[in-house]
Amino acid sequence: MDPYQPHAFFARGPSTLVRLIFFGTLSIVLMAVDSRLHTLTEVRQGIVALLHPLEVIVHSPVAAYHQVSEYLSTQNTLTRENRHLREQALRQGAELQRFHTLLEENEHLRNLLGVVPALAQPARLAEIVHAGRDPFTHKVIVNLGSQQGISSGQAAVDEYGVIGQVTRVYPFSSEVTLVTDKDLTIPVQIERNGLRAIAFGNGRERAINLPYLPANVDVREGDTLVTSGIDGIYPSGMAVAKVTRIERAADSPFAHIVCTPTAGTETHRQILLLAVAEKPPQLPPPLEQPNPSPARHASKP
Amino acid sequence: MHPSHKHVYLSLFAAFILYLLPWQGFGLMLRPDFVLLVLIYWMLRAPHLCNVGTAWTIGLLVDLASGGLFGQYALAYAISAFVALTYQRRLVLFNAWQQAAYVLALLLLTQTTILVLKLFSGGGLPGWSYFLPSVSGVLLWQLLFSRIRAANVKDSG
Repeated sequence: MDPYQPHAFFARGPSTLVRLIFFGTLSIVLMAVDSRLHTLTEVRQGIVALLHPLEVIVHSPVAAYHQVSEYLSTQNTLTRENRHLREQALRQGAELQRFHTLLEENEHLRNLLGVVPALAQPARLAEIVHAGRDPFTHKVIVNLGSQQGISSGQAAVDEYGVIGQVTRVYPFSSEVTLVTDKDLTIPVQIERNGLRAIAFGNGRERAINLPYLPANVDVREGDTLVTSGIDGIYPSGMAVAKVTRIERAADSPFAHIVCTPTAGTETHRQILLLAVAEKPPQLPPPLEQPNPSPARHASKP
Repeated sequence: MHPSHKHVYLSLFAAFILYLLPWQGFGLMLRPDFVLLVLIYWMLRAPHLCNVGTAWTIGLLVDLASGGLFGQYALAYAISAFVALTYQRRLVLFNAWQQAAYVLALLLLTQTTILVLKLFSGGGLPGWSYFLPSVSGVLLWQLLFSRIRAANVKDSG
């Protein structure tokens, strides 16, 4: 027979059902507090900071494997990579010269127009520690946190374009939500014609959607989406995605536009975290005379 | 050998470490819920050491590590623990396949609870691959924990 049967007949604390009701209520309260009131952030940060040494220990074999494989990378690979990087540096050097000229010209034109100067964006190099533990959200954890001066809202980019945004900061690590996540939106512009839109992560696959654009919109396959910079978070002109598919259904007033992110959201180990702009571009002062067109609101980050 | 609290906590801690490992890509899609498997094992083998409260506490830890909404794993684990404990007596009479089916049902119950909670908090509907960890979990169960019946019989004998 079951050796533990007698226990049930004697008092041993509250019954299982009572426990379930107690803990169930407790977790529902926790969920409500966490999702609505956001008062648990400090608690979460504290406990994650306590868990941090454990994570470091757990990740150390993987980190050691990466180090060893880097150390053992052959002469051949290194030479090839070196040649590739040289080539890239040369090409980018040439482009950079042009860029300086353009920058000066832009500055000059901005001065002429009397516009606020564009903000310089200092950046920090962060390393991806691990992909998020939930396979259905597109998030990565990087090795810089609030102790290193990272704050929530910073943009994450790589050499090909925007990767995502810092959404949660812990003392020694932070969480970057990728552009493909369902909850991330980026104000973009189509490079070819300057059309403004908002890009939404798809969430299911490695894709970005452009909803709410009319069916007759001037978007073609192969168009590049760049950040418009009007949110004050992403510097303007960074590549976000390329349009890969457009479907115009007769029964829908909107075009179904699917894009692929240009940044290697799933391939890199290092990403750049850009500092948040000190203040978003200021709204123009309201006009004295009544304005027939409604004032545009600045988009919220 | 009679299990003690030490065994329960150490094994749960080991399962949590397995959860913390940097899983990626396909491994992440297939990763069984180690913590829940160990919890179910102790629920069925030694319910006097491991109850709804234990499940809830370790669930809260998993919540913290996953970065999701606070309390969703805790609630899901507590519900599964309740079901596991309610039917714990009958399990001894089950054969190996019935046991596996029972464990699969518990794993699916947990995943469904989490899915419902995610949908409530504004998540999207994932594909069928969402339930793959339950399948891999029950396979792991068959490999590692299927001797629970033998152990139970030995304990009582």
